[in-house]
Amino acid sequence: MKTIQETRRRTPLQEFRAAISDIIPLAFGVAIYGAAFGLLAAQAGMSELQTGVMGTLVFAGSSQIVAAERLVAGAGAFAAIVAGLALNLRLLLMTASLRDEFTGRPIWQVLLGVHLTSDENWALMHATRAKGMHAGYWYLVGGGASLLLVWIVSTVLGVSFAKALPDPRAVGIDFAFTAAFIAILCNLWRGVEDFLPWAVSIGCAGALTLLTPVEPSWALAFGGVAGAAVAGIFQND
Amino acid sequence: MTEQWWLILGLAIGTYSIRLGGYFLGAQIPSSGAWSRALTALPGSLIAALLAVILIQGGTADWLAASIALAVAMLTRSLPLTMIAGIVAVWFLRISL
Repeated sequence: MKTIQETRRRTPLQEFRAAISDIIPLAFGVAIYGAAFGLLAAQAGMSELQTGVMGTLVFAGSSQIVAAERLVAGAGAFAAIVAGLALNLRLLLMTASLRDEFTGRPIWQVLLGVHLTSDENWALMHATRAKGMHAGYWYLVGGGASLLLVWIVSTVLGVSFAKALPDPRAVGIDFAFTAAFIAILCNLWRGVEDFLPWAVSIGCAGALTLLTPVEPSWALAFGGVAGAAVAGIFQND
Repeated sequence: MTEQWWLILGLAIGTYSIRLGGYFLGAQIPSSGAWSRALTALPGSLIAALLAVILIQGGTADWLAASIALAVAMLTRSLPLTMIAGIVAVWFLRISL
């Protein structure tokens, strides 16, 4: 029997391996997500090569989806980039929150670590720690590297499949993202103190989308910041 | 260069700058107080806003499927199961409604 102390002290390789096995259920979700993005990328006129390069260099699912969707809608590359980046502002806050993991590491590890930070492995790292297990930099990198591989393979396959498959809307796969965000939001619910910030966020984003000509990606960024501001001002530590 | 390559280049450079920028920002943010609380609340707040924008643009089938997905998410706490339930529900509802 291992004691908790022994479990906590893991070598980088042990952390890396633990992350790979822990991330498997989430990787299945990412694969569905990736295949759905591949279908959308094909609609946006992207090849397998372009989709693979994009997945490797961007590695931010929801922003790739929003950007590709904007391109399909005929908004142009610049508007698509702005829409995608607006959604990625949260990554700034996620890597900012990892300062303890990055402090004192060689620059190449910082450069690699920030790129491999995504919603799923970042959240998994916090969940694993909440269970009392040691999960630091190499846990983050192990999960991130696994997800990057799954993301590239599934998105490229999605593009290939798109040629043989019907419109994503007809088979409901376009809804995969909506359902995923619902699941993630449920996991982020900490209690009644989240009600006011989220209500303000939904209210602002909804009102801007319905009542003004503001782009949806700006409406959601504004809503998110407004909700966070309410939490900062009115919540207690 | 095509529109698609410009999109990939712009999104890649922009996204990496944001990720690296967070690393430099990290040291500057107070670890307690209002700023810290706002940062902690931001992910949920952002995803709530995203869902609002998505669902406003969807129809009745999307709203009903979202309710089913929410129920599955609350019962199972599983991302893959919620995604599968949502996809099957919206597929069925779009045919039926």
